[in-house]
Amino acid sequence: MTHLDSELQLLKGECISMWNLVLLQINKTQDSLLRFDKDLAREVVLNEKRVNAYELKIDRDCENIFALFNPVAVDLRFVLAVLKINNNLERTGDIAEGIGKFIVFTETSFDKNLLEVAQVIKMFNEATSMLAEVLTAFEKEDTALARSVFKQDEVLDNINLKANSVIADFIRKNPDKLEQALYILSTIRKLERVGDQVKNIAEEIIFYVEAKVLKHKKDK
Amino acid sequence: MERGIQIRKYKNIVLKTGVVLFTVIVTLPLLLVLLYIFKRGISAISWDFLANLPKPVGETGGGIFNALIGSAIIIGIAALIAIPFGVSIGVYLSEFRKTKLAYWTLLSVDVLQGIPSIVIGIVIYLWIVKTMGSFSALSGSIALSLMMLPSIIKSTEETLKLIPDSLKEASLSLGVPYYRTILKVILPAGISGILSGVMLGIARIAGETAPLLFTAFGNPFTNTNILKPMASLPLVIFNYAISPYDEWHELAWGAAFLLILFILLLNTLTKLAEKKWRVQF
Amino acid sequence: MESTILKSENFSAWFGENQVLKKINIEIPRNNIVAVMGPSGCGKTTFIRCVNRMHELTNDTHVEGTIFYTKNDIYKMDPIILRRFIGMVFQRPNPFPTMSIYQNVIAGYTLNGASLRKPEKDELVEDSLKKAALWDEVKDMLHRKGTFLSGGQQQRLCIARALAMKPEILLLDEPTSALDPISTAKIEELLFDLKKNYTLLIVTHNMQQAGRVSDKTAFFYLGELIEYNDTKEIFTNPKNEKTQNYITGRFG
Repeated sequence: MTHLDSELQLLKGECISMWNLVLLQINKTQDSLLRFDKDLAREVVLNEKRVNAYELKIDRDCENIFALFNPVAVDLRFVLAVLKINNNLERTGDIAEGIGKFIVFTETSFDKNLLEVAQVIKMFNEATSMLAEVLTAFEKEDTALARSVFKQDEVLDNINLKANSVIADFIRKNPDKLEQALYILSTIRKLERVGDQVKNIAEEIIFYVEAKVLKHKKDK
Repeated sequence: MERGIQIRKYKNIVLKTGVVLFTVIVTLPLLLVLLYIFKRGISAISWDFLANLPKPVGETGGGIFNALIGSAIIIGIAALIAIPFGVSIGVYLSEFRKTKLAYWTLLSVDVLQGIPSIVIGIVIYLWIVKTMGSFSALSGSIALSLMMLPSIIKSTEETLKLIPDSLKEASLSLGVPYYRTILKVILPAGISGILSGVMLGIARIAGETAPLLFTAFGNPFTNTNILKPMASLPLVIFNYAISPYDEWHELAWGAAFLLILFILLLNTLTKLAEKKWRVQF
Repeated sequence: MESTILKSENFSAWFGENQVLKKINIEIPRNNIVAVMGPSGCGKTTFIRCVNRMHELTNDTHVEGTIFYTKNDIYKMDPIILRRFIGMVFQRPNPFPTMSIYQNVIAGYTLNGASLRKPEKDELVEDSLKKAALWDEVKDMLHRKGTFLSGGQQQRLCIARALAMKPEILLLDEPTSALDPISTAKIEELLFDLKKNYTLLIVTHNMQQAGRVSDKTAFFYLGELIEYNDTKEIFTNPKNEKTQNYITGRFG
C-alpha cells in the first residue's frame, strides 16, 4: 500500500466515524422525542460540537492530501467526494441538533396521537435507514445501494407534502397544542432536508466510484 | 537545382573513391612487408633455431636462444620498472589535474614521448653504463622503461579521467579512506585501459634497437645475470643483418619474424583484454 | 519527545570567494524525513554534502559555524568515522561497476578491509536488500554485476549499500531525478518505510516529492534558509512570501 493509499484509508475511516456519530445523533433525537427525554436532547445539542470538530478535521485532512499528494483520477474524486460528504454530514448533524433544541424548548410532552398521524417516527426511521444505507454504500463502494436511496427519499417527500394538512387538522382539533404541533411541522421539514442531504451524499458516492455526475439531472 | 544535386552526387563519389584508394595504397605495402618477412622468416624457424646458440662464422645452423631469453628478461624488467611509476604518475595526473606539478609533468611526458630512442640510449649510457663501468641488461631495461613510461602514463590518465567522479564519491561516502578508494575502486574500474597501455608500451619497446646498442650491448652466449651484457632480438637482427654472411641473414629474418609475431600477438591480446575487462558504468 | 539528531549553528560555507551557505540554523529531529528544496544554486546540495563533509572533495572550500551530530561537532570528527554514521545516496545511481550485487552491498566493509565471515555477509546482504525493498527482485541473481540492474533497482542497491553500514542518518541528493515515475514511486515508498529506523535528509527539486515523503521541509534560497517547518504547514500555509512563490511555481 502506498503512502497516499494509507492517507486515503485514514480519511475514509474519519469520515465513517463522523457518519456513525451523526447517525447516533439522529437516533438519540428520535429517542428523546419519543420519550420526551430533555436530558438526552441536551446531550444531542452538546454533541454537535463533536460533529463540528470532525468536519474541521476532515476539511484539514482533505486540504493536506491535496497539497501534499496531488491526487489524481479516482483518488482525486474520492477526496473531492469526501469533502462534500463531510459538508452534507455536518448539515445533517445540524438538523439533529435543531430538532434536539425543539425538544429542549417544548414545555409539555408531545401528543402521542400527533406523532402518530404526522408519521414523524416513520420519517425518522426512514431517514436513519437511508443514512445507514449510503454509509454501507460508501464503505463498499456499492453504487447500486447508493441509487436505492433515491426511491426511499420519495417516502419522506410524500409525508412532508401531506404534513401541512395533517398538522392543520390537528391544530383545529387541539388548539391548545398549537406550539408543539408547529414544532412537529418544523421537525418534519427538517427531516425532509435529511433526505436531500442523503441524496446528495449518494450522488457523491456515484461520482467518485463511477465518475458520473448525477447532480441536477432528472433521470437517475 | 537538379544540376546542383547531380554535381554534389559526383563530388560525393569522387571523395569516397579517393578515401578508399588512399587507404588501399597505404595498407598494401604494409601487408607486402609483413608477407615478405613471413615468407623469409618462416623458413628459418625450426627447433634448432629456437633452442641453440649462434654458431661461429662458417658453420651452418645455429640459433638465437640467447636473444630470446635476453629479450624476455630485458623487457620483463623494463615493464617491472615502468608499470608502478607509470600507473602512479597516471593516477596523480588524473586526480590532481589542476596543480602546477601536474601541468609540468604532463609536459615532460609529452617531451619524453618525442625524444628519439637513440638519445635515450646515449643518456643512459652516460648515466648508468659509465658509472657502473660495464654494459648491462639492467641499463638496457632502464632505457626501455623510460620509453614505455609515456604510453602507460597517458593511457592510465586517460582511462581514469573517464571514470565518473560519482564512483569515488560512492566509495568515500561509505567511509572508505582515500588511498583505499584509489586502489580498490578507481584502479580496478580502469584496469582495461591501464592494461592496454602496458601492452602497447611493451609492443613499442620490443623492437627498439638503438637504446640497447649502448646499454645491453649484446652477447653471443646465454646470460641471465642482469648486470652483464645480454643479447636481445632487435640486436641480433641488427648485427646479423649488417653482416656479410648469408647464413646470418637467414637468422636475422627468422628473428624479425619472431619479433613481429610477438608484437602482433600483443596487439591482439590488448584488443581482447579491452573487450573482456571493459567496465560498464 | 523527538530528540534532535542533527543541528547546525550559524553554519556558512564558501567555495573560494563565493559564499554558498549563509548562517544556516536548522534542527533535524530523529526518525523524520526532512526535505530540502529550493531553486538551483540555492545551496541545498552543498548543505547536505557539508553534513557528511563530502564538500571537502572540492578544492578551496571553507566553512564557519558548526554542525552537531547528536552532541559531536562533525568538524572535529574524523570524516571517515563520520561517514559511517551518515550515509549518502547520490543523484545518479552509482553501484561499483566491477562488483556483483552481493559485493556491492557489503562494499563498505570489504573496501575498508574488514573481514566478515560468510554467514555474517549473507545475513548483512539479505537484511540490507530487504530493507531497500530489492531482495525479492534480485535474490536469484546476487552474483550478477550491479550495473546489470535497471536504474531504479541500481538506486535501491545504492540505498542497500548505504544501509549495510548501519548509519543513523541517510542523506539523499535528488535520489530520483534520474529515474522514471514508477521507480520514483518505489523509492518514495521505501523512504517512508526507512523512517522508522533512520533519519533521512533528502534534497529534491520536485515539490510534489517533498510533499509526498517528508515530515518537515526546509526551503533554501540564495544560500539562506528561508523557511523551515512541518511539510503540511509549508504546503498549505507558508509564512514567507518567497516560499509561497516557489511552491506555487510563481518564482522569479
